[in-house]
Amino acid sequence: MLEVKNLNIEFHDHSLPETVVYRFNLSMEEGDIVGVVGESGSGKTMSALAICGLLSRRDMKKEGEILFGGKELLTCSRHEMRELQGDDIAIIFQEPMTSLNPVKTIGWQVEEALRIHTEMTKEERYERAIWALTEAELPNPEKVYHQYPHELSGGMRQRVMIAAAIVCRPRLLIADEPTTALDVTIQAEIIDLLLKLNREHKTAILFISHDLSLVRKLCRRVVVMQNGYIVEQGAVKQIFENPQQEYTKRLIASIPSCEEGKEDKDFSTEEVVLSAADIHVSYHSSHGVFGKKQEQKVLKGVSFALHKGEVLGLVGESGCGKSTLAKVIVGLNQKYEGQIGCAKGSVQMVFQDPYSSLNPRKTVGWIMEEPLKIKGGYAKEERRKKVLEMLQKVELEPEIADRYPRQLSGGQRQRVGIGLALMSEPKVLVADEPVSALDVTVQAQILKLLQKLKEEMGLAILFISHDLRVVYQLCDNIIIMKDGEIVERGTPQKIYTAHKHPYTGQLLKAAGIETVGTAAQA
Amino acid sequence: MKRKKNFNLIIGTVLTGLMLLLIVTGLFFLPYDPETMDIELKFAGMSPAHPFGCDNYGRDVFTRVMVGARTTLLVALGTVGIGAGAGILIGAFTGYFGGWVDEVVMRIIDALFAFPSILLALVVISLLGNGKLGVISLLLGSGKYQVILALGIAFIPSFARVVRSEYLKQREMDYVKNARIMGCGHLRIMFVHILPNIMPVLIPTVMIGFNNAVLSEAGMSYLGIGVQPPDASLGRMLSEAQTYLFSQPSYALFPGLTIVLLVLGFSLLADGLEER
Repeated sequence: MLEVKNLNIEFHDHSLPETVVYRFNLSMEEGDIVGVVGESGSGKTMSALAICGLLSRRDMKKEGEILFGGKELLTCSRHEMRELQGDDIAIIFQEPMTSLNPVKTIGWQVEEALRIHTEMTKEERYERAIWALTEAELPNPEKVYHQYPHELSGGMRQRVMIAAAIVCRPRLLIADEPTTALDVTIQAEIIDLLLKLNREHKTAILFISHDLSLVRKLCRRVVVMQNGYIVEQGAVKQIFENPQQEYTKRLIASIPSCEEGKEDKDFSTEEVVLSAADIHVSYHSSHGVFGKKQEQKVLKGVSFALHKGEVLGLVGESGCGKSTLAKVIVGLNQKYEGQIGCAKGSVQMVFQDPYSSLNPRKTVGWIMEEPLKIKGGYAKEERRKKVLEMLQKVELEPEIADRYPRQLSGGQRQRVGIGLALMSEPKVLVADEPVSALDVTVQAQILKLLQKLKEEMGLAILFISHDLRVVYQLCDNIIIMKDGEIVERGTPQKIYTAHKHPYTGQLLKAAGIETVGTAAQA
Repeated sequence: MKRKKNFNLIIGTVLTGLMLLLIVTGLFFLPYDPETMDIELKFAGMSPAHPFGCDNYGRDVFTRVMVGARTTLLVALGTVGIGAGAGILIGAFTGYFGGWVDEVVMRIIDALFAFPSILLALVVISLLGNGKLGVISLLLGSGKYQVILALGIAFIPSFARVVRSEYLKQREMDYVKNARIMGCGHLRIMFVHILPNIMPVLIPTVMIGFNNAVLSEAGMSYLGIGVQPPDASLGRMLSEAQTYLFSQPSYALFPGLTIVLLVLGFSLLADGLEER
C-alpha cells in the first residue's frame, strides 16, 4: 500500500543546505503497524511529514519516491495530494493542547474532513461524527460533540484527534508521538485504542515514538533511525531480542529496567535533612473581579522525611500535586499550611526543562557563578575556579563555561542545571522530572550522574517523576501520590511486589511492570 | 550557498552613518554662521557657495540643516531616553510584581495611551511654558529642552506596555524561579537576569520610538511649540519654509529630505537588526 524508496530530505532555508533524512526506505501493507523510533534529530518526524505531504515544497528538496496505492506523492499536484490528506491518510500529532482549534466545537472539527471529502448531508455528517467519537471511546459522544477543546482533558483531546483522523476511515494513520504529552495510565489507554482500530478497521498505523516500550507493545515492525539514517529495521521480536547494530543495542539498554533485585537500605538512623509535616495547599480562583471564589485543594496533608544520602522517589500523574509540593519545599510557594523542616539554603532544585531553566542571554560560567556572587565573599578567580571544578564534577568540558545555553545539547544543559544547583553546596536536591525532557540514552547518563554525585557529596535527593521504571532504578524509597494525597509509600521492592493501593497497581501496569522480574517478558 | 545579504542592515547603517557624519561635522565646522542674516542673499538659489540655497533671511540652508539635524537628533535621543528609561522601570515593576499596583498603573497608562502623543506633549508644554511648574522650567530652561521632557513623558506609555508584557512572560520562566531559589533579590532578578532577555523586543521598540520622536519633534516645531526661533531644527525649518513653498521649493525640500533620510535610516537599521 505504501512504498517509500530512497527518500532524501534536504533543507534549504538556512545558509547551508542540511540533509535531515538519508535514503529512507519503508514499505507498509494494508493493516500493518510499523514503529519508527529514534532520538530527537533522527529524522523520524520529517520522514512521516513527507509521507503525508506536510513538508513545505519551497524550502526543501526531496528526492526518491513515495508511492501510496500506486500514486507518486512527491510529484503529484497539490490538488491530488489534498484529495488524499484527511481521507486516505490521516495524522495525529503529539500535542493535543494545540492541535485542536480552540474556537470551534469538537463536532465541527471532527466533521471538517467529511465536509471536504464527501457530499454528505448535515444529518449524515452528524451521525458519522458521533460514530467516530464512539469509536474513539469518548464517554457521552453527543455531549462532547457540542463541547469546546478547553473543556476536555488532555487524554480526551487526543481521543478527539483520533476521532477526527478516523472519520473518513483512512487506510493509513500516521501517529507522531501521540502519547508523549499524556500521563502513563492514559498512554496505555490510547495504545489500546490504536490497537483496537487496527484490528477492527484494518487501518495501517505508522507510529513514531522515542519510547521503545510503547513501540514494543503496539507495533509489529520497527524502524530504528539515527541522525537521518535508518540504522536497523525488522520485526519487533527480532529487534528487541537480537539487535544487530551498536546503536540499537544502546537504545534498548537505556530502557530503565526493574530486573535486577535491589536491596532495601535503612536510613532511619541517618540525620533528617528535610521533613514535611501535614502540608496543605489550596488555590483560590475566581472568575473576574466579582466572580464567585472557588477553592481547589491541591495538597491535602502530605508528610514525609528525607534522610541524609537517601533518594526519595515521588511518583504521580499530572495534577496530583507533586510539582506544587516541590515549590513549597524550595520556597517558591509561600502560601501553605503545615511545617517544612530544613536548614535555610540547604535545598536546591533541578528543573524539568533544561531549555528554560538557564538564562538564555548569559554564559554558563556567569550562570554558575551567580550563587557565589549572591553568597558573597569570593574573588573573581575563586569563583571561576569553583565553576570549573563543578563542571568537571558534572562531567563537562571546561570550555563549556564560555558558551551560551543555546549552544549546548539537552543533556549538557541538564548537567549544567545540576551543577548550578550544587554550586551552593546544598544538602537536599529537589529534582522535578529532571530527565523526562531528554532522549533515552541521555536519560540513562543523567541518572548515572545523579547517582554518582549523591555518593560523592552525601546528597539527599527528592526525585519527582511520572516514570516508575526510572524511579525504581534510582530511588531508595518511593512515595506515590494521587489527588494531593500520599496513597502508598515503601521501598521499591515492596511497592513493585506487594503494593496495597489499587492506583499503584494501575501505574505499574501502565508502565509495563506487573511484578518485578517479569518486565523483560512483558 | 552564500548567506543572504542583509540589505536593510547595510542601507540603514550607511544612511544613519551619513546623517551622523553630517551632525558630528557640524559640531566642529560650519560653512557659515547659522544665524547671520544677509538680505542680499535672500532666496538665493543653489550655487557652489550655498549648495542648498538660502532662506528668507539670507541664511545658508545647508548650515541650518546641519545644526537643525543636530537639534532634532538631540531631542529624539532625549525623548527616547526619558520614555524608555521610565517605561522600563514602570513596565518592569508592574510586570514582575503584578497585583493591584499593576492594575492601577496600567489603567493610568491605558488612559494616557488613548491620547495621541503630540496632544499629551502639548499639555506638558503648556504646563511648563506657563511657568506653573516653575522649578522644572527653570532647570530645563526653555526651547528644545522643554520639548524633550514633554515628548519623553508622552512616550512613556508605549515603552511601559511593551516592557510589562515581556516581564509577564519572562517571570514564569524556570530560570527566574531558579534565580529565586538561589537567593537572588527581586531587583537583581529584574534587571540582571530578566532585562537582557527582553532586549530582542526592546531594541526594535527603541528604534521605532526614535523615529516617532524625530517626527514628533518636527511636528511640534512645525506647530510652533517645539524648538523656538532663531534655533534651527528640521521641523522648525519646514514650518518656516511652507510660506514660500511655491516661490522657493528648495527651502522646504532639503530639511524635509533630511528628516526622511534620518527616519528611513533608523527604520532600516531596526529592521536589519531584527532580521539578524
